Amino acid sequence: MHDASPILKAVNLHKAYRKDAINVPVLRGLNLEVFEGEFVSVVGASGCGKSTLIHLLGTLDRPDQGRIYLDGSRIDNLPAKQRDRLRNRTFGYIFQFYHLLPELNTLENVLIPHMIELSLWRWWWNRRELKQRAIELLDRVGLSHRLKHKPRELSGGEMQRAAIARALISQPRILLADEPTGNLDAANGAEIIRILRDLNRNHGLTIIMVTHNHELVPLTNRVVRMQDGVTIDQQTINPTKALVG
Amino acid sequence: MYKILLCWRYLLTRYLALACIISVTLGVATLIVVNSVMSGFSNKLQDRLHGLLSDIVIEGRTFDGFADPDEKMRRIRESAIGEKIAAMSPTMEVFAMMQFRMPIEFGVDEIQTRPVRVIGIDPKSRAAIGGFAEFLEEQKNATEPSFELRDPVARRRYELRQRALKPPLVETDPTQPPPPAPPETEFKIPEGIIVGHALATFRYTNKDGKVVEYDVLKPGSEVILTTVSGRRLMPVYDRFVVCDRFKSEMSEYDANFVFVSLEHLQKLRTMEDRVTSIQIKLKDAREAPLVVAELEKLFPKSVYQVSTWQDKQGPLLAAISIEKGILNILLFMIVGVAGFGILSIFTMIVVEKTRDIGILKALGASNGGIMKIFLGYGLLLGLVGAFFGTGIGLLITERINEIERFLTGMTGQPIFDREIYYFNEIPTYVSTWSILIINFGAVAIAVFFSVIPALKAALLHPVQALRYE
Repeated sequence: MHDASPILKAVNLHKAYRKDAINVPVLRGLNLEVFEGEFVSVVGASGCGKSTLIHLLGTLDRPDQGRIYLDGSRIDNLPAKQRDRLRNRTFGYIFQFYHLLPELNTLENVLIPHMIELSLWRWWWNRRELKQRAIELLDRVGLSHRLKHKPRELSGGEMQRAAIARALISQPRILLADEPTGNLDAANGAEIIRILRDLNRNHGLTIIMVTHNHELVPLTNRVVRMQDGVTIDQQTINPTKALVG
Repeated sequence: MYKILLCWRYLLTRYLALACIISVTLGVATLIVVNSVMSGFSNKLQDRLHGLLSDIVIEGRTFDGFADPDEKMRRIRESAIGEKIAAMSPTMEVFAMMQFRMPIEFGVDEIQTRPVRVIGIDPKSRAAIGGFAEFLEEQKNATEPSFELRDPVARRRYELRQRALKPPLVETDPTQPPPPAPPETEFKIPEGIIVGHALATFRYTNKDGKVVEYDVLKPGSEVILTTVSGRRLMPVYDRFVVCDRFKSEMSEYDANFVFVSLEHLQKLRTMEDRVTSIQIKLKDAREAPLVVAELEKLFPKSVYQVSTWQDKQGPLLAAISIEKGILNILLFMIVGVAGFGILSIFTMIVVEKTRDIGILKALGASNGGIMKIFLGYGLLLGLVGAFFGTGIGLLITERINEIERFLTGMTGQPIFDREIYYFNEIPTYVSTWSILIINFGAVAIAVFFSVIPALKAALLHPVQALRYE
């Protein structure tokens, strides 16, 4: 056990989807605690509710039952506006299929969270500074030479690195990664994991990563195994300062 | 910021949206062209109507009018509204039959009879009212038009015609040398008459498809007017010589009106010092209602009728206005059809962009923000369509006559029949207000029809949107 209180806590989460008038339960009373600075991997068979968990934790969806706390404050029942703000500033998202906007170039894609956050006037006033920050982030993920390229002109690995830069632009407290290497070859997957580990170790970013790839598990601090919508096992692999207490 | 950026990028990259822009462009261009042509016709008609009618008319309610117009005009000048009056002219109007012989060059010795409206005027004071001297073909814009046959060529034409019609007095014997020619007698030129252009000419389309105009009455031609005398309604007639022609480009007037001297008409109808109306021109036409109210106090309604030119042409002006209104409603339906195009194309775009909507929501975009992207997109399409539509509409309006000639040449069917309208060019009038209203309407329709797809986009569930294949 540990003394610190969790940054993110899920209590008795239930979630079901309706498919052709049939209620399909996905989460059935899931409990989870994530501590600041942790790199948690969530593994389990397809359909066990990993992605649904990520969506609920990141306020993209609401649970049917149960509660989610951020820093001890309940967030699952917040009004839409506050949930939008959490997604914009507190959580960063990385998806399996990168999900970059095809009409925008790499730099614009990275800047989108700021464009959403700021008013037109504030954006215009701070645009140089923000662009500079986006370029630095793209440089950190090795994409400074692809600023003006559209997503269709990038490789899968490059697109995922651009997505990481986009997730980091708002300086989120928690990074939610849904199968970030699932669509990449081994080399590109390894590069993405290297970037994520660097962010976790050197910048203290809390990361929750859903993956199918069991080879990635040893590279994280803790693994959460899921089955039929509940956690069946949690195992600490590389303890963080928070876990050590 | 992201809303503007995405609207702009969607505009540049979605070629499907081009269909929306084209439909708005065509709608706006059509509305501008039709409105400009309708306004052109309407304004020209109003100019002509007002040109011929004075600002205010005082009319007697009976056929034989009223007596002593000078005294009435003096009373008006001395009244409170006297200083508002720019000019006055007494007039007598009566229906008549006009007869004339067809010109020799037509090869038929035929007498034509036409019903006409005779207007007895004092040319000098009538010219001061306006809408008369500027429409005269010979004495155009003359400060003092008259009924005198001044043109020597026309005088000669009249004399030659009279001689040609005169039968020889004695049978000549071909075996005897011809008798000496009698000395040329001085022909007495009758009173002058100014006839409407359409009465004096006839138009037809020749084999080449061109509208040809033939003169049947020109200065120097003789006509006979038959009308009725004042109270006793006895037929009276007199000979007149055409001294000028009147072309107002209003077929109703040009085909019916003939002007003669007021004094002569009064004598002919045995109605000395009587007129049927007094035409009044105001210094400021906007004061007409006020002046009418004052005149109604001076002249009892039981005997006189005081009206403005708009009152007299009320039904016609109202008909034009209604016609224009109905046409505008029908044409706005075209833009409405464009609106349904926007609705369907936007719905398709929303489906196509479902995953992008999910991404934006995952990154913190609100439902309102997503809605604004698509409303803004509709607004942008409307603005671009309206901008190009306005440009094309104005260009077509400016070149409408060249386009009409080209289309007539291509199809062989006259689009603007110059036989019907006495204008040689299609009149147009571009109103800034109309263009602003059309543009506003088109943009509003584009935005209105974007609302449903925008709402649909805004209400998409982010997780379902992200999973959309």
